[in-house]
Amino acid sequence: MNWTRRHPVWVMTAAMLGLLLFLWGMALPLSLAPAPIGPAATQFAEGTRVTVALTVVAGVIGTVLGFLAGVGRLSKVRAVRWLSSFYVWLIRGTPLLLQILFVWLVVPTLLPGGIVLSDFACAVTALALNAGAYNAECVRAGILAVPPGQVEAARALGLSPLQIFQDIVFPQSLRVALPGLANNLASLVKDSSLAYAISVVELTMVGYRVQAESYQPVPVFLTSAVVYLILTTAFTTLTGALEQQMDRGTRRSEATA
Amino acid sequence: MSAIEPVAKPTQTGTTDAGLADGSSTDGGPDKRGRMIIQAAQVHKHYGAFHALRGVSAQFHAGEVTAIIGPSGSGKSTFLRTLNGLESHDGGEIRIDGVKLGTDTRALDVVRREVGMVFQNFNLFSHLSILRNITLAPMRVRGLTREAAETRALSLLERVGLRAQAAKYPVQLSGGQQQRVAIARALAMEPKVLLFDEPTSALDPEMVNEVLGVMRELADTGITMLVVTHEMGFAREVADRLVFFDQGQILEDTSPHAFFTSPAHERSRAFLSQVR
Ligand SMILES: Nc1ncnc2c1ncn2[C@@H]1O[C@H](COP(=O)(O)OP(=O)(O)O)[C@@H](O)[C@H]1O
Ligand SMILES: [Mg+2]
Repeated sequence: MNWTRRHPVWVMTAAMLGLLLFLWGMALPLSLAPAPIGPAATQFAEGTRVTVALTVVAGVIGTVLGFLAGVGRLSKVRAVRWLSSFYVWLIRGTPLLLQILFVWLVVPTLLPGGIVLSDFACAVTALALNAGAYNAECVRAGILAVPPGQVEAARALGLSPLQIFQDIVFPQSLRVALPGLANNLASLVKDSSLAYAISVVELTMVGYRVQAESYQPVPVFLTSAVVYLILTTAFTTLTGALEQQMDRGTRRSEATA
Repeated sequence: MSAIEPVAKPTQTGTTDAGLADGSSTDGGPDKRGRMIIQAAQVHKHYGAFHALRGVSAQFHAGEVTAIIGPSGSGKSTFLRTLNGLESHDGGEIRIDGVKLGTDTRALDVVRREVGMVFQNFNLFSHLSILRNITLAPMRVRGLTREAAETRALSLLERVGLRAQAAKYPVQLSGGQQQRVAIARALAMEPKVLLFDEPTSALDPEMVNEVLGVMRELADTGITMLVVTHEMGFAREVADRLVFFDQGQILEDTSPHAFFTSPAHERSRAFLSQVR
């Protein structure tokens, strides 16, 4: 932890490289494992890649949505505030599985003909919408945590509202919002497993199929669990290091350059 | 540039002259009083049903150092904050260097460039280094290059005795140091007027003097200062003028000497007996 504190950039890079290396090379060690894992190594590797893709794409879109809705909930415009609150209320009040099924079954009927959403795209859409609503709460809390006196000082210095947001409010709210956002990203790794319900072949689906063929659920699910743990640990390390990086200069004791 | 006119006759009580002329003079005169820079006429402010400012009129001249004192809740902060548009006023007129406040946002831009403010709680940007705290506004608002802004910031830090702290962050500084940085930050915009709202009230007693020292030096440079303060020593020794607020009005507008030796109102006497 102390090392993470002092070298956050290195830790971030290491976690990122580790994750990539893991995704790229995991089929190799897995193929050496005894049946039923060894023969299904490439399936596991492919499923893991899909899980990570779901997480990353939905995570990025969900972060953008979270910022829009989080800022929107504090907007001066009543309609924007209302819309953002409605979105957060709707998503947080209904099960994720229902949202995934809804996007998969209902949204295609609403789209104009010719546009086809893949199962993957449906899963990403639902996961991003879901993450966005939870992220909005973190962003809102972050913005509310910015001391109003600092905004006032910026106003008194003649900064425009946009400059105040970009230079004062945004960076400071990010520092407060980040642990929550990171937490939501780690949840997303696990939540992405629900995509199996709409036949996206991600890690959980692979595990389900392999055990169905081999009748050996214990080693199969153990393998899935270990992969999930590696992924969540990598994401947590990554975001933890990012937090440390953002936190620089906020600790009294630290001598900063 | 405006025409040179004779120095406006100083008025010792709050005037209610509604049609304020752009009284101006470039000559400081013996009392170092320059042209009129702030004109407040019959300013009113409500917070809901509460009447916080009840017809405040005063004029402040370039180079003048005014101490504003009065009981808590009398409207001192509210008055200062209407002067740089942090609060809107809902009656009367405020002109900063001739520009009328409250009509359009363009006026606000002008005013914010000319009027700096120092707050009780410093309000430094906690995520930015000391140097960056000071360079931010000059770069964003005045369009200075980073080099120019940093040169200016470092010389201001030198002036407040904190050059060595430039790379630190606000939390790493004491309250007194933070307030001196806040003063440097305000000065970096080269304002004509500097508003201080109880700049030493949040400080530990041993840090009050280092901030007052910087303010004393500032007073000698000819910048216009309005200082809300409970430091009677500062008011007496440094201020050219003393304004006493009570219940949303200016009750006395006089010299510090006159106020402290012979307060005109019962309320001023009561206030003085409490702070001394
Ligand atoms: N934002 C606000 N909303 C409601 N009332 C306020 C607000 N700001 C100040 N007031 C009230 O206005 C009065 C004057 O406040 P202020 O100008 O801060 O007084 P002072 O600085 O002289 O102590 C006080 O009674 C205060 O409660
Ligand atoms: Mg006050």
